[in-house]
Amino acid sequence: MHHEISPLVEFASEKLHILLLFMAAVYTLKIRWILLHTPGKDRQAPTGSPDTTGQRGAMYSLFNVAMPWAMPSTRKHKMFYAEFVVFHIGVACSIAMSIVFSYAPVLISGSAAVLTLQIVFASAAVVGLLRFIRRVTVPVMRLISTPDDIFSVALLTVWLVFSFLMAGQAPAFAVAKGQLEASSSIGALQETPVVVYYFITSFFLMYVPFSKISHYIYYPFSRWYLGRTLGHRGVYPMKQFGSEANADFLS
Amino acid sequence: MPTKTRSPRAEKVVELMKTKCKNRQIMLSLAACVHCGMCTDQCHYVLANPDDPSYAPAAKADKIRKLFKAHIDWTGRAVPWWVGAKSVYTDEELEDLMDTVFGKCTGCRRCSIVCPMGVDMAVFNGMARNLLYSVGIMPEGVRHVAKDQWEIGNQMGVLREDYLDTLEWMEEELQNKHNDPSIKIPVDKVGADIMYVINPREAKYDPRSIADAAEIFHFAGVNWTMPSEGWDMTNFGLFVGDPALGGACSKRLYDAAHRLGVKKVVISECGHGYRSTRCEGQNWAGMDVGFEMESVVITLLNWLKDGTIKVDKSRNSDPVTYHDSCNFARSCGMTEEPREVLKMVASEFREMYPNRAENFCCTGGGGAMSMSEYAPRRLKSAKIKAQQLKQTGAKTVVTSCHNCVDGLYDCIKEYDLGMQVTQLVNLTANALLVPARPVKVMESIKALYGKKVLVIDDEPDVRLFLTKIYAENGATVMDAPDANQGMRAIRDMRPDLVSLDLIMPHKTGEKLYWELRKDENYKDLPVVIVSGYAKVDKPKIDFDGFIREKDIPAPDGFIEKPIDPDKLIGTVCGILKVDKAGV
Ligand code: SF4
Ligand code: SF4
Repeated sequence: MHHEISPLVEFASEKLHILLLFMAAVYTLKIRWILLHTPGKDRQAPTGSPDTTGQRGAMYSLFNVAMPWAMPSTRKHKMFYAEFVVFHIGVACSIAMSIVFSYAPVLISGSAAVLTLQIVFASAAVVGLLRFIRRVTVPVMRLISTPDDIFSVALLTVWLVFSFLMAGQAPAFAVAKGQLEASSSIGALQETPVVVYYFITSFFLMYVPFSKISHYIYYPFSRWYLGRTLGHRGVYPMKQFGSEANADFLS
Repeated sequence: MPTKTRSPRAEKVVELMKTKCKNRQIMLSLAACVHCGMCTDQCHYVLANPDDPSYAPAAKADKIRKLFKAHIDWTGRAVPWWVGAKSVYTDEELEDLMDTVFGKCTGCRRCSIVCPMGVDMAVFNGMARNLLYSVGIMPEGVRHVAKDQWEIGNQMGVLREDYLDTLEWMEEELQNKHNDPSIKIPVDKVGADIMYVINPREAKYDPRSIADAAEIFHFAGVNWTMPSEGWDMTNFGLFVGDPALGGACSKRLYDAAHRLGVKKVVISECGHGYRSTRCEGQNWAGMDVGFEMESVVITLLNWLKDGTIKVDKSRNSDPVTYHDSCNFARSCGMTEEPREVLKMVASEFREMYPNRAENFCCTGGGGAMSMSEYAPRRLKSAKIKAQQLKQTGAKTVVTSCHNCVDGLYDCIKEYDLGMQVTQLVNLTANALLVPARPVKVMESIKALYGKKVLVIDDEPDVRLFLTKIYAENGATVMDAPDANQGMRAIRDMRPDLVSLDLIMPHKTGEKLYWELRKDENYKDLPVVIVSGYAKVDKPKIDFDGFIREKDIPAPDGFIEKPIDPDKLIGTVCGILKVDKAGV
């Protein structure tokens, strides 16, 4: 059985941290840039419900995305919300896998782990494909999509497909790294998906800080400030009154 | 490659935008959109125009965002086409931007609360309006209103003497109504506990709301006043995103409160007025006011709860629903208090869906009522509002916002919903239990004493003249500047007689007359036509022919302009069967 790691794979897997450092450096600059902007202040005494504050509003706002019942948009588009969750879990798992795979592939070499990861990546890739199709076919999505939006979803979808293939290589890679005993149930290491995965991941790490994919850097800030403002004004946390009826109205 | 030149206005817009985007919240809202499209069908414009993607909030936002990307965003400056960055160069492009930020968005913030990224459309739409306003590109109505607010001190250009006359007139009305000369609308009373500030629409078109509030304040027994200056709590600074105008308007009001040394400012029912005065004003003016400010809704609620005022809710027996104003609910968290008041002053309350912070805009927000060029678009976008209203099955919609009153009124008319619009202060005054007073034996009672007359005429001078004649003869007089508002006033005040002009813009008096005569409720309502229809400069109306053609009875009286007061009062007394000489 072929359990050797070629120099190309070795280089790709071990030099990933350099690109991670690059991404971290750009993000640091970006956060610094955000902080150079002056935040607006609310002088006025709080309004609205007395049991809300700016802080409470900000916290609510930060976790709002995990409360699909809290927004009319997510209540109405339940499938879209489910897709969002699957897609983001897929991407997060793939980022985690790229690191674990490089340094401790044994951690994900069990058949249950491999299967779970493959299900996650396959579902996320299907969602990515659906999102790509929606972006280029639905008129309003076409109108608001930039080349960056379209390329980003395509890039992530392809990456998720290779994540799926890559997850299957974890046991062989762990054996090649000497972290796992070779056995007859573990096939030979297939280098192509590994090399392509690492290549896309490397490109991804360089591209992300300059693309819309870096929205998660803005997320905590934009949500915090919206929440702080609406919390100070007694709007957040939003009370749910007849939210079902509110949702029904629109569906 | 030759560089594209920019018009001076476009240049100024770009420079100002760079300054404005130094604000963290504005910058983040522009940078954070991921174009997910979740906000698309949450905007009332989109729901009314499903086939036009240009109404999508993200599409509208991108018209501003592309500028941000072209000049501020890292990638946008390096590879503009990749992220949809594009600067502005010509005045035509600025006009196009105006069409979006003024004509396709009321800044209602509904898309902000549904955005997973926390993008606050209202924040940068306001910024874009300010950029355009600073180079003189704005709808005509906005220009006039902003100018009036800068120069005259209120957004409807109500002159000081007209405002004071109106207060005096309302004071007399209340004194007559309760036969109590001690009822006052105190002006500039130093050391009062409460200073009440209003929307100029009340002074100009809806003085009844001032009288209703004054009646409540009087019977609550509080020490209150209205200022002669700084009485306008509305603020066009919010609609043009201009902190300078916003600060100047707010400061005028805050200065009045300081001058009079009041403890509290009570703000009449108005969404954007409340938000501007209570919230944004201090930020714009850069000052901490040092006195309390509250909406009259809170004042009413407290007084109802602690028994300062007592009401009989059976007097408001029609089923009512409540429309949450965007500024009240989505920007100031005022959602429960109005409902509590409503349940205390009206017999049957029906919820509207969606409601509270999820409610849809009345479509008149963001200064839309002053932009007549966008009226057809606004009325079309009211489709969803009409659907919401209709589903309640209520006969009356209550709202705590003067803008919403007008927006809803237009929506009801456009979609033929046959509903009335009113406010909490009106319902509360109607339900108010007034302590009994011994009846004074009057030396003389004027001929029309105890009669309610509604004057409908589009010419302000004629309206004033007629109002004076009827009031001098003892009547309680209300007026309306057009047939639509007249119809609303008829429903609201149930007059004993209508004094109706025939030639008016939009809807003629004859049409209104016809509507009254075919309506079971008003077919016997006495109407005296007061019209100059024979004047050569006006289109001639064949009113007799109209009556014959429609097969409706002739009006109860007919007075031709120029008006002879004696003849008018004689005719009206004959119709109402009262003695012209009085007692
Ligand atoms: S919901 Fe938010 S992130 Fe999504 S398109 Fe609308 S504004 Fe952009
Ligand atoms: S703020 Fe209101 S009107 Fe403007 S785009 Fe958002 S939902 Fe539509």
